[in-house]
Amino acid sequence: MESPDLALFRRSVQQATSTARGAELDTRLTDLGWLDAAVEDRSAAVSVMFESQGASNTHSSALDQLLALTMELSLPVGQAAVLLPALRDTAAPGRMEAGRISVRGIGSDAVDRRELAVVPVSDGPDHRAVAVPLMQLEQRRISGLDAALGLREISGDIPAGAAEDLGPIDWAEVVGVGQLALGHELVGAARTMLDLARTHARNRLQSGRPIASFQAVRHRLAEGLVAVEAAAALLDAAWDEPTPEVAAMAKGMAGRSGRTMARHAQQVLAGIGFTTEHSLHLMVRRTLVLDQMLGASAVLTRVLGAQVLEYKVLPATFSL
Amino acid sequence: MDLPQFKADVDAWLDANGRDLACTFDGIGTLDQQMDQLRKVMQLAYDAGFMRMGWPERVGGLGGSNLFRAYFGEALTRRDLVEPGIYSMPEVLAPTMIDFAPPELAADMVPRLLRGEEIWCQGFSEPGTGSNLSSLACRATRTDDGWLVTGQKVWTSLAQYAARCVLLTRTGTTESAHRGITALFVDMDSAGITVRPIETMHGVPEFCEVFFDEVLVPFDRLLGDVDRGWAIAMDLLPYERSTALWHRAAFLQLRLEQLVAIAPPGALDPADIGEAVQLVMAFRARSRGTQRRLAAGETLGSETSIDKVLLATAEQAVFDLALEGLGPSIASGDDPESARWRAEFLYSRAASIYGGSAEIQRNIIARRVLDLGDER
Repeated sequence: MESPDLALFRRSVQQATSTARGAELDTRLTDLGWLDAAVEDRSAAVSVMFESQGASNTHSSALDQLLALTMELSLPVGQAAVLLPALRDTAAPGRMEAGRISVRGIGSDAVDRRELAVVPVSDGPDHRAVAVPLMQLEQRRISGLDAALGLREISGDIPAGAAEDLGPIDWAEVVGVGQLALGHELVGAARTMLDLARTHARNRLQSGRPIASFQAVRHRLAEGLVAVEAAAALLDAAWDEPTPEVAAMAKGMAGRSGRTMARHAQQVLAGIGFTTEHSLHLMVRRTLVLDQMLGASAVLTRVLGAQVLEYKVLPATFSL
Repeated sequence: MDLPQFKADVDAWLDANGRDLACTFDGIGTLDQQMDQLRKVMQLAYDAGFMRMGWPERVGGLGGSNLFRAYFGEALTRRDLVEPGIYSMPEVLAPTMIDFAPPELAADMVPRLLRGEEIWCQGFSEPGTGSNLSSLACRATRTDDGWLVTGQKVWTSLAQYAARCVLLTRTGTTESAHRGITALFVDMDSAGITVRPIETMHGVPEFCEVFFDEVLVPFDRLLGDVDRGWAIAMDLLPYERSTALWHRAAFLQLRLEQLVAIAPPGALDPADIGEAVQLVMAFRARSRGTQRRLAAGETLGSETSIDKVLLATAEQAVFDLALEGLGPSIASGDDPESARWRAEFLYSRAASIYGGSAEIQRNIIARRVLDLGDER
């Protein structure tokens, strides 16, 4: 996207994410053409969309739509709820075995508004997408750490014949695109946590001075910014070489950076940040759950190390 | 010339001249050997034109973007032909001369630096003045014949090899702080200069104490304006955290790849490798963004302190991992390879100290980037 278009897109998205959530946000995003933007310039649209969503602590079915787009499904992108792997994991949520499909995954709150779930399914070494009527699957609304995110645990065991085959998919690519989107969302959440902590530090007086004047506090905030900028730089560079390994590396870094920022922000916000009277807890909850989605940072980091050890080469070049 | 063409030319030249450019010693060598190697590589590269790319024509360069310099240093580092720290010194010194020296002086001097014919040093820090540069005390007094300089500098890298020094002096009152500082370009063979190399923990005496005892500096060696030396220091610091850091990133990537290739099976924890890889690649991604902003004509500022913190974190992660994988060799190996890993491990401890400590960088980030107001 050219920079005036990108600036306009960013403004529209920020306006939408800061005022709407769920079904209403979906409508707003459709109206402002977020998916068209993603088709035209995937990296710019995805980074703006998800960083904005993370910063506003809101949710939509943008990830479902992005993954459906990546899978090049024949059904309209807006109609499907796309199942994600179980938390911590990157394995496809569906598994084909002996003519049956067993399903264990995560759905967004969009499942309430859809009749079909798109289930990525592993079939030996191959992957396909199938469409399954949601009424044939079990749903549990997840309260857990972050009830506001509206995730659903979806499971079931159905005959393959009950699912409509949507054709082969490149699952590694789908995971990679999803990881980059979630990485940007984590960065957005981390930037908001930094803002909250910074505002508090400048306003909160102790012994007649703002706590922002104390070096211990300043260094925590500086460390937080370094962590956020490191993750943001890695994500931006990852779009240049968006292999599955690079996307996983960037998401792993974003998850750990988000948790670093959460730790510093929580400490700077101290007592008030530990209460529900301040919004920090919402960002901390979101960060911890986003970190678990499409590969937890602990898992992604260990797998990255094992790959580098095996192939003796770093996953990206990031050439000038 | 565009960057892809330049890269191809550089790679072809390095391939064709591998034998002439190669290190003549094993492992890390002595500092004397490293300096000889540096001069040799720079002279060959200057004659071939590569060392001139990315520098303005008025100082003997061939013009073009800073990205040429960034890539050339990266290519030399990837092949272990130079130690990136000493190779990158002109990245800090030449821009100061280009921006602040009288044009004739810059045109005369900078080519000597780029050719490897001369080494220069940077006389900033003093015993009582580490990161608090505005309190420096090395005094320059105006006389009929020129500036008379008396005082002491410390942590002056490569002063024992240097032909010239970019020197910050006090010309105002002691209380004038950053307003009374003047920068001079000093010949290191002037009468009254004594250089004492400092032995370091990693065995490479790369920095020195420098004593100035009534050293006469001609008036035409003034850089910038009298009492305006602070502007030079401020202008220079972001350079310290741009191209030189890109070279350092290439070095860390190379060592990390070598480490995973030679560490004994089972010695490295995959989770630790993964974290070091993420940190190195994030540092590289960040530094690439900085190179591109510089190439686009942006003025670099305090945000480059983020780059420096990332370098220190990544470098220490890589060499902590080296200790995990090669501990016995680092602790007890007396072969050149072990000696190199040992020296580089020890040097990595200084990554959060030199060029503005990690604490100073965080102070800068807090004050200038996060706008947290004054401290205490």
